[in-house]
Amino acid sequence: MITNKKYLVGVFDNEHTLKDAFQKALDKGVVIEEVYTPYPIHEILHGMKNKTHITHAAFFFGLIGVTAIIGGMYYAAVIDWPLLFGGKPFNTFPSFIVVSIVATILTITILTLLTFSIRSKIYPGKTADIIDIRATDDKFIIVLDQDKMGIEIPAVTQLFQSNGASEVYEKESTSN
Amino acid sequence: MYKTDVRGKLIDGEKSLSQISQEILEPINGKTPKWWYAAMGVSLAMFAWGAYSIFLTLTQGVGTWGVNNTVGWGWAIINFVWWIGIGHAGTAFSIFLLILRQKWRTAINRAAEAMTVVAVFAAALFPLMHMGRPWLFFFVFPYPNTRGPLWVNFNSPLFWDFVAISAYLLISASFWYFGMVPDFATIRDTTKSKIKKAVYGFFAFGWTGSSREWLRYEGLAFVLGGIAAVLVVSVHSIVSTDFAVSVEPGWHTTLFPPYFVVGAIFSGFAMVLTLVTLMKKLYKMGDFITENHVDAVCRVLVFVSLIMGTAYITEIFIAWYSGSEYEMFTFFKNRITGDYAFQFWAMFIFNAVVPQLFWFRRIRRNMWIVFTISILINIGMWFERFNIVVTSLSKNYLPANWASYTPTLVEIGFFIGTIGMFSAGVLLFFRYIPQIAISEVKMISKYNTQQTDHLKPGHHHDYE
Repeated sequence: MITNKKYLVGVFDNEHTLKDAFQKALDKGVVIEEVYTPYPIHEILHGMKNKTHITHAAFFFGLIGVTAIIGGMYYAAVIDWPLLFGGKPFNTFPSFIVVSIVATILTITILTLLTFSIRSKIYPGKTADIIDIRATDDKFIIVLDQDKMGIEIPAVTQLFQSNGASEVYEKESTSN
Repeated sequence: MYKTDVRGKLIDGEKSLSQISQEILEPINGKTPKWWYAAMGVSLAMFAWGAYSIFLTLTQGVGTWGVNNTVGWGWAIINFVWWIGIGHAGTAFSIFLLILRQKWRTAINRAAEAMTVVAVFAAALFPLMHMGRPWLFFFVFPYPNTRGPLWVNFNSPLFWDFVAISAYLLISASFWYFGMVPDFATIRDTTKSKIKKAVYGFFAFGWTGSSREWLRYEGLAFVLGGIAAVLVVSVHSIVSTDFAVSVEPGWHTTLFPPYFVVGAIFSGFAMVLTLVTLMKKLYKMGDFITENHVDAVCRVLVFVSLIMGTAYITEIFIAWYSGSEYEMFTFFKNRITGDYAFQFWAMFIFNAVVPQLFWFRRIRRNMWIVFTISILINIGMWFERFNIVVTSLSKNYLPANWASYTPTLVEIGFFIGTIGMFSAGVLLFFRYIPQIAISEVKMISKYNTQQTDHLKPGHHHDYE
């Protein structure tokens, strides 16, 4: 079902005004739907209170990867097809280390990329859900959902404008 | 706060964010210059010669090369190690300088990563063709099969090398690509051409720059950066074990892994220097790749060059100190003097002596001299690999086995072909991909100028 969402969009020209307005809005209890910026700004990422567990996921991918790889080499060299060469042990573990490290790194990379792609919904050919097209160029955009923002439109417009917003406008979206 | 007074300015001119996008995207949006077509033509001609050499090798076998029973690893392995070394710059730039919080990397890392991908691809062709029957390439994959002893030899450095190179190629390519996603979105959102909007839009993966995306993106960069740093060190260490675990005089040394890793970073940085001086001159990217950036790379090179010189001298010292007559022969009779003295001294002078010129500020600031030295280092690093591969093999323990080695036209053509492939790849990169990471340069632009200081919290706000 397509639901129309009404947004209030605040446009800022630089990082500093954006951060000020963002902080003041948070202090007033305004619920911010999303912030779009040309580059990552840590205060915003922190203030939005979103969490990512991608680093933890990567750690577990590594754990699974290294177990599978060492296990696989042990299986091949000791169980499935042991080769006698010069009376050396079948399980030549130290020389398995190199492949374990490198192949584990490869496993982590591929699985973390997949996780990133799935969780962030970033994949080839996806149509971008653009609120304000200038956000990837030179504008810093704060988007509020009019139904949930917890403040009246004139108040928040005044708040943004007094904190350096170059534009504040309303927008309706059919996506989401 | 980043101290601009130490490094100098990172971006010349007072640029707005939108100006940064426009100027970096100029080669993509503007008209393709004439020299580009000429350079592309030359590159493709070189590549065609390489393709013909590969065709000859495929149809007639490795017998078309100058390698023999004694010197079994001629130009193919020299070129393989050389290209892999050059391919180390991308990750070295992105990862090490990221970890060391060097903000000057932002103008250069994209070019370095692009170069890495093409260089590693060029490198991989050599061992592939050296197999003799490249169509049986899949034999190196460890998977359950029906061929005699079923598994590959997990104890062999050659297998480690295969794993390392494939992992390195995949990881540096994905690191490079994901760095470009926000920039592709910038092209999608700023271009006027409908075709570009569609094409770059496809590759932008639906990127919007939302805080959720940036958060995970940073997490991803953190993970990939952290593990790829290990990879950079391990890949060339593994390449060095191809040599070091053998018993050939001159190869069987514990110095090899660090010596190879440092050498790889050395040649990679030199190739980056070649590229960025070209980008400065040909694409007028001088505002983003300032003299301060070139200066910083030169300073790294002078330091690494000292390590290289130390490594060369250590090898010679240990040859004498070990008391092994074979080592003594290899280093003193076969490298420093003797048949391969020219290659040895070319290596020593180009890698350990010439880069010492970078101690002088006037040299570091003269783009023509910097460009020339960067080329000389690349030649010197090629001679280093020639030294390692050919001198040790040609005169080993048994004088009855001694043989000399001269490359054939097929080997030379193969090498020229990979150079053509590399330059064609770089030219495509110049033309179709943002040469500089736009979003990262925007991020550092705030450290550059004084003009926004009054907008920072704590200062007087003139809009209140």
